[in-house]
Amino acid sequence: MSFILLWLGVGVLGGVGAISRFLIDALVSLSGGGRFPSGTLVVNLSGALLLGLLVGIGLHGDAYLLAGTAVLGSYTTFSTWMLESHRLAEDGERSLFAANIVLSLVLGVGAAAIGRIIGGG
Amino acid sequence: MVEDGLKLTTYFGERDRAGGRLLADALVDVYERHGVKASALFRGIEGFGERQRLQTDRLLTLSEDLPIVALAVDDRARIEALLTEVREINRSGVTTLERARLLTGALGPAELPGDSGASKLTIYLGRQERAAGRPAYLAVVDLLRSHGVAGATVLLGVDGTAHGVRERGRFFAGNAQVPLMILSVGDDQRIVKVLPELSSMLSQPLLTLERVRICKRDGALLAELADPPGGELGGEACRLKLTVYAGEQARHEGQLLYSTLIRRLRREGAAGATALRGLWGYHGDHRPHGERFWSLRRHVPVVTVLMDTPANIRRWFAIVDEMTGETGLVTSEVVPALWNQSI
Repeated sequence: MSFILLWLGVGVLGGVGAISRFLIDALVSLSGGGRFPSGTLVVNLSGALLLGLLVGIGLHGDAYLLAGTAVLGSYTTFSTWMLESHRLAEDGERSLFAANIVLSLVLGVGAAAIGRIIGGG
Repeated sequence: MVEDGLKLTTYFGERDRAGGRLLADALVDVYERHGVKASALFRGIEGFGERQRLQTDRLLTLSEDLPIVALAVDDRARIEALLTEVREINRSGVTTLERARLLTGALGPAELPGDSGASKLTIYLGRQERAAGRPAYLAVVDLLRSHGVAGATVLLGVDGTAHGVRERGRFFAGNAQVPLMILSVGDDQRIVKVLPELSSMLSQPLLTLERVRICKRDGALLAELADPPGGELGGEACRLKLTVYAGEQARHEGQLLYSTLIRRLRREGAAGATALRGLWGYHGDHRPHGERFWSLRRHVPVVTVLMDTPANIRRWFAIVDEMTGETGLVTSEVVPALWNQSI
């Protein structure tokens, strides 16, 4: 695969990841209806699980770059997690704030590990 | 000078479009072209409309189409002249028409009959306008409070017209004259006493007075909902409007009041609700409060507005009543005409 084609692929698949995140986040947030940023949590956990899976099945090279860095890299979001946590703190929602940080960390590491196990790595 | 005026308000989404451009821009263009005395565009922080899609600035993905409230105030002739045009371009939201007395220039105490109950006094200013040697909005809020007016909230606009001239907020600009509006509610006698002092304090006073009923104040039930009028005004298009003034941090059972209220109303099938965050304000005996630099939590006021048919509003008032057990100022008003273009 040529260098240019590969980077075009990263651009396009990155867009696919971003759109998927937007759709899934909106769907989860709306059905939840609460103040907890459940959409972002679902997106980050599923992304961690899938990335673990990719590593588990031993994907490497261009395929890993496209699926891992491009798709899942733009699908998951650290900045939104931080921004929404800050807003919970701003609103004085201490328990939701703590839950958002702790759940993302603990379940996220767990999801990546489970992904790897499923993938056989 | 006191004259009969009209207030035209439109509720829609930030991303709604009209003829290939943003509805928000198109609307203020109409107001500019007609030289409307006072118009302003406010961006909400949370809300939903007829499509029942919740928008909130608290979650990134749900903040891409926040609610917008645009209002235009002028004499009857000018508002009637632009009404058709506004209804034509606002194809996605709600348009309401309310009666308001328009007050400009110097005002004496005798010009207003302190007739019935309570009024809503709205003061239109520029963002950096000054009065009595300090920001005008601070001076006005203190004056209102010292006269025992029940509550006041300062809302910052993003675009609009003042005395017929376009004043638009821009990213790299001083934005000194961008519209700022102070919403205050109080007993007629107190409001009437404030007016002369207020008009002498401001360089170009521009105010409106509307009838309002104060239903609740800090948990105490003061009056029933406003009565829907009979006759011509009580027609199909007549609605009641409920407004809840409270601090952004005000809570009901540990949850943020404005947010819990909006989500509950959406679940129960209300027609729509919008929350606007103020810059500064007070209600009841509380001290004026606003943003503090060193504080993580924000202590700004929030205004939550909902409108529906008189029958439905009774249901929503029960919910509002339940949630404002300790704090908040709740008012009701008659909206003589409402058009919903989204259905």
